[in-house]
Amino acid sequence: MEFTALLTVAYFVLLAVALRKRQRTVNGPWLFLLRAFFPNWQFFHGLGPAARLWVRAQDGQGQWSLWHPVYPRLPRQASHLLHNPAVNLALSHQNLVEHLATDIHDLAENADIRDCVSYQLVMRLARDAVQGGRWGDIPWWNSRAGPRPRHFNSKCVCCGWASQAMNSCCCLRKCPFAHEP
Amino acid sequence: MNLDLPMAIRAFEILLGWSLLLQSAEYLRLRALDRVGDWRIQRAEVPSARVRQGLDWLYQPAPYAGMLWLRAALALALMLGQAGLGSAVLLFAMALLLLLRWRGAFNGGSDFMTLVGLTGLLLAHVLGLFTNPARAWHVALWYVTVQSLSSYFVSGWVKLMRPEWRTGRAMTVFLDNGVYGPLSDRSIYRWPRLAMLCSWGFTLWEGLFPIALLDVRLAVVFCAIATVFHFLVFWFFGLNRFFWAWLSTFPAILYAASG
Repeated sequence: MEFTALLTVAYFVLLAVALRKRQRTVNGPWLFLLRAFFPNWQFFHGLGPAARLWVRAQDGQGQWSLWHPVYPRLPRQASHLLHNPAVNLALSHQNLVEHLATDIHDLAENADIRDCVSYQLVMRLARDAVQGGRWGDIPWWNSRAGPRPRHFNSKCVCCGWASQAMNSCCCLRKCPFAHEP
Repeated sequence: MNLDLPMAIRAFEILLGWSLLLQSAEYLRLRALDRVGDWRIQRAEVPSARVRQGLDWLYQPAPYAGMLWLRAALALALMLGQAGLGSAVLLFAMALLLLLRWRGAFNGGSDFMTLVGLTGLLLAHVLGLFTNPARAWHVALWYVTVQSLSSYFVSGWVKLMRPEWRTGRAMTVFLDNGVYGPLSDRSIYRWPRLAMLCSWGFTLWEGLFPIALLDVRLAVVFCAIATVFHFLVFWFFGLNRFFWAWLSTFPAILYAASG
């Protein structure tokens, strides 16, 4: 029992020391797909700008809507403790947007973001937002951003930073569809 | 007050099975809700052509639904104490397949802790082939304990090193960005002193969690606080899976602390 206790103490001391060292990021397609095996503590690092998806679209007359954030905000229910698919789906969509922001940041000089899976899926998210997508009972397109346009134009997708107001949303530099509102 | 091995195994199986059952019900519902995920696009991320082909078949509507129903049935069997080596292997394999279907993770940390529980279950049954089952379960429950305690310890340690957590500012920002947020203008969590107090409270509690191993009474207190903590995480961030995934590791912690 004393040996077990010693081993446990040594393990946690080692863990604390390891956390103080700068760690190398290891990438790879399989590692990405199996990353749930490795806990990620980046969640707690810093409070920098977070990636947010902003969408606007054209109606039949070519009139642009206002920029609209696609960010999960849902009403709380106690029953969600047992069954919460809509909220979990919404959170996975926000993760997707954050992956796109990372992919854009890491994009090689001559690479095309449109080839990235995260980009293609975020496009579907944006398209679905315009076409009446919902998280459970909550429509993604908030009526405060004006009426939902009937037609979707792919140029309307913008991945911006949360700290900026909707009317000054700034697209990321490498985004091929950069479009100043 | 000690938790003996048979009781710990039963509690672990019931809680892990319950967590898997709830997750399976959500995955089944998500088939109708999710209009963004598309395997025809996602398959490009799988590096192996052979694996890709196999997954192409598996993620068609009927086989995928079959896998989820099977997972739910096995979770129920686990709760009833009827899951053996075959069930443990299948549950672990299905967890991997679900990760691939959701681009590596569906619900972040809860996926990790679910894998920890399933690895513990697999470890118990595989080691049980080579040694006596009690010893195998002892190792498995210790594995789950170390993983669970590490998650709290690292979380507390990382927060302690970040100035925004030490001042409490991070907590208010996170609560504002929660899925059920933002906080109301008059929320008490906007009071800087209270935010700092809560932040320090949770940081110290998480960082000190390994001392729960010293005495089972301490472990009970730490696990009780953890239950409240995970409920608050659910209440503000909607992370119901985290609540059940971490709860399923508590029998292992109580058992390890009883040794």
